[in-house]
Amino acid sequence: MLRESMHAGGKEVDVRGVTTGFDGGVDIAHAGLLVDWAEATVLRDAAGIVAARGALRPLLGEAGLVDAAAVIAAFHGFVRIADAIGIPYTGAAQGRDVPELRAEVGINDFYRLRGAAPPPA
Amino acid sequence: MTAFQFEAGNSIAIRDDLTDAHESAWVAIGKPGTWLTGAQRVAVAAEIRHAHGCAHCARIKAALSPNAVAGQHAGRGALGTLEAGAVELIHRVVSDPGRLSERWTQEVLALGLSEGEYVEITGIIAMVMMMDAFTRALGATERALPAPQAGEPTRHWPAGAKKQAAWLPLVEPEDATEADGPLYPGPKAGYIYRGLSSVPQSLRDYWALANMHYLPGQFVYKFDSSIRAISRPQVEILAARVSALHQCVY
Repeated sequence: MLRESMHAGGKEVDVRGVTTGFDGGVDIAHAGLLVDWAEATVLRDAAGIVAARGALRPLLGEAGLVDAAAVIAAFHGFVRIADAIGIPYTGAAQGRDVPELRAEVGINDFYRLRGAAPPPA
Repeated sequence: MTAFQFEAGNSIAIRDDLTDAHESAWVAIGKPGTWLTGAQRVAVAAEIRHAHGCAHCARIKAALSPNAVAGQHAGRGALGTLEAGAVELIHRVVSDPGRLSERWTQEVLALGLSEGEYVEITGIIAMVMMMDAFTRALGATERALPAPQAGEPTRHWPAGAKKQAAWLPLVEPEDATEADGPLYPGPKAGYIYRGLSSVPQSLRDYWALANMHYLPGQFVYKFDSSIRAISRPQVEILAARVSALHQCVY
């Protein structure tokens, strides 16, 4: 979904940053601060949350801040359903989640796939 | 009581559809569900918040092999006959969701949970964690849990639910019946939409909230525009990073 959204704007993204972290080379406005805020929220790092939110507020405005928080929170919830119900991961994103992309991002190193037989394409 | 309360000097205006969605979600959590009473659903919500301080969960999270850690979760003891299975389900899904397995799911069911109870509890976990993460990110005060409402669960199990593609039964779009009520916005629905489908009311409650947080289904694959106050790539970098932190393969 990240790659598709970048392609829609005629841009590329190194999707490996999703698992290894983005080093500032990604062409998305305020990406570093957004990722910092997401990580602090997931990890319940109170000081990190305050710092990232404070830095983002003048950049995104209140409405942008709210929508960013809403997305962070949405995926903090989505993963519980996917992982607890064990839904199939092949065919995610209407088939855009191809095996090559999982390998490139580093998803094949995640616990559920480590040592698993290759899924059907 | 309004959905969001801030300390002085940290007030943030929140769009009405999101505020309304939170209000409705908390009310729904307090009502009798499909397999759980209102009191049980609120007790599940309390256990979700309580799990963050569980020392056994911390040991599991730190272990290389999550299923080889001996010990007991520090449950609140408020879930009655559901206690053993529900506490294991809640604590693991809250603290280490990326390292669950089908075998673990079967072990949780063997502790005395029905498939319907398992799915309904999973829906409450996803909703409470979504709402609490939102308030935490914005610095709002954590919402008090709702008062449980009296009444009996509906105990509706969809005739078309079958275990096939996932670890728990799903209702495929073509198997949904009128008795299930509205399930999917169209004839095609991604697996993430189908996850809670064996408990249709949980599916509806969950997506009424989630659509206001992320994007309603009709906008998900429209990559060249954004209905939110941040760009679509900004939305997706947040989504991807949060999912990766949880080792979610979906």
